[in-house]
Amino acid sequence: MQKEKEHTRSGNASMILLFLSAALLISHSLFAHTINYALEKAPTGNVIWFYLKLGISHIVPQGTDHILFVVGLCLLSTKISTILWQATAFTVAHSITLALSMKNIIIAPSAVVEPIIALSILFVAVENILLNELKPWRVIVVFFFGLIHGLGFASALNEIGLPRNKFAISILSFNAGVEIGQIAVIISMFLLIIIPLGRKNGYRKFVVYPISACIALIAAYWTIRRVGY
Amino acid sequence: MKKSSIYTITLILFTAAVGLIIFKYKNDQIAKEGTIYTLQQRKGPSAKSQEWASMKTTAMALSESVRRDPADIKSSLALAALFIQEARITGNYMYYDMAALKYINNVLKKDSVNFNALLYKSLIYLSQHHFAEGLATALKAQKINPYNAFVYGIIIDGNVEMGNYPAAVENSDKMVSIRPDLRSYSRISYLREIHGDYPGAIEAMKMAVEAGAPGDESTEWARVQLGHLYENTGELKYAEMHYTIALDERPAYAYAMAGLARIALASKQYIKAIEWYLKADSLISDYSFKEELVEAYHLSGQKDKANALSMSVIEGLTKDAQMGQSDENIGHYADRELAYAYLKINDYDKALEHALLEYNRRPENIDVNETVAWVYYRKGDFAKALPYIKVAMKTNCKTPTLLCRAGLIFEKSGDKTTARQLLQTALKNNPNIAESLKTEGQEALKTL
Repeated sequence: MQKEKEHTRSGNASMILLFLSAALLISHSLFAHTINYALEKAPTGNVIWFYLKLGISHIVPQGTDHILFVVGLCLLSTKISTILWQATAFTVAHSITLALSMKNIIIAPSAVVEPIIALSILFVAVENILLNELKPWRVIVVFFFGLIHGLGFASALNEIGLPRNKFAISILSFNAGVEIGQIAVIISMFLLIIIPLGRKNGYRKFVVYPISACIALIAAYWTIRRVGY
Repeated sequence: MKKSSIYTITLILFTAAVGLIIFKYKNDQIAKEGTIYTLQQRKGPSAKSQEWASMKTTAMALSESVRRDPADIKSSLALAALFIQEARITGNYMYYDMAALKYINNVLKKDSVNFNALLYKSLIYLSQHHFAEGLATALKAQKINPYNAFVYGIIIDGNVEMGNYPAAVENSDKMVSIRPDLRSYSRISYLREIHGDYPGAIEAMKMAVEAGAPGDESTEWARVQLGHLYENTGELKYAEMHYTIALDERPAYAYAMAGLARIALASKQYIKAIEWYLKADSLISDYSFKEELVEAYHLSGQKDKANALSMSVIEGLTKDAQMGQSDENIGHYADRELAYAYLKINDYDKALEHALLEYNRRPENIDVNETVAWVYYRKGDFAKALPYIKVAMKTNCKTPTLLCRAGLIFEKSGDKTTARQLLQTALKNNPNIAESLKTEGQEALKTL
């Protein structure tokens, strides 16, 4: 129990350090965030639909790294409520940094954000192997990772730009799309893995460990590539 | 080892990895800030010119001044201006834009309202196709000094690119009233061309050429533009004459060579055209040469070379665009160019993706609307192409390529009368446009 608390403290400290370090990298890039002039004149319904689709496609099928992160979140627990808690913490966190980043309040360089996103996937995968059950601090960890992933979403959204007169609704629609994409991944995980295999003996040994190991290897490769080695 | 210990070690390793990523980034930034940019060796005869020798001497002197005194704003800006000029001459925008930006940003850190620094920064924005930001920065500079003709030039360019044509015309009047010179005349010429006035455009471009010193890059650029106007009006002999003069005045001028390549292509001398394009391409980096070379390869039956070159254009443009993700100081929007490049390999979905990305940034620009319309046409989605081509024609622009494309779109949309008028106007003087488009237009016209 004491050790668990130590883990909790060290885990949280690690995450806080991670976020603070990344936040310290706030920089002003040459190019301000792009304005989507075409959508400024479009009806609100079209704007909502556009960013909703964009958010979904940013997870499924384009966001392989985000898919692996969500898959990683689904492996440590077979309870839908705990998985949804993690997904919600992730969404709230990335919504915050995405909005702040698109408003130019914080701009983190992708040279830092992208490797840390890969590292976060690696961390979750390794945690799945090392821990037997979901710990309470996992939600906090996921929240901090969400903050970093939000900065990654911002760089992707920047290419498309946002209409100035529908800024909030665009961000909300994009986030809703991301959430739908995540839920689709979670549902797929339940239908394909957790429901048919979750209660069977050897679930951890033959399902959680191999999948987590694969995710960890892929994430480690991404981390190295994104750092630029 | 216990799992708990492994977990603790993992946490430490993870934190260390984050620290390393940040440390590496900071180190890279410091290294970048310490980078000393120098002029890169030119290719071809211009490498032996007196102009190049004096440019190198000036660059060395300015670099030395900035090295001795980093707070020397005058030398920093002069060096930035020199890099901007060299980018235009060599086409190596990626390198020289980065070089110029380093010195511009250093000045702006010390003096955020420095007129010249803002002016140069807006130029870099335009060169990187960040037109909205370029226009905003130029307008900021204009507030500081409303009596500088050059800033009006950038405002005109920014407004044209953003599709604010009345504002561009208004600013061109101001520019020419402050300083009637090559820069203002050439902009007036372009605006007249956009508004369908070819005789007026030719007249203004002739004035631009006469206002410049023969042999200067800007004068010969204007002369090449004059040649291109003659190509669009079907007067190929005049076009050829101006390209030849440009090449005489400025030996190995790549844009004049590309002009002569187009003339050779028009007379079906494909081998000669390819030779000119290859020469031009070996001298400066400009994807437009490669794109035209793809057409020449196609026409000469060298499909493999055409496809390989198309792929290399896509790779190059994508790489340039992706630089913006790894380096916050640079990043070229190349979506319109990529849309056309993907069309050349018949990848319509990718072409549309890029065309719409550019449209989101510049929905009022006629060229961007033409691109989106043409991609939809090539996809076979004629109903979707129609509204875009109508916007593309809002300034009454009579560029034969635009009219030909518009005619084909109207024809497929069932408006035969408009299609006939457009195609007849487009092909009336036998302008020098892409052979495949001309053939398609001529065949469609026969059915109308």
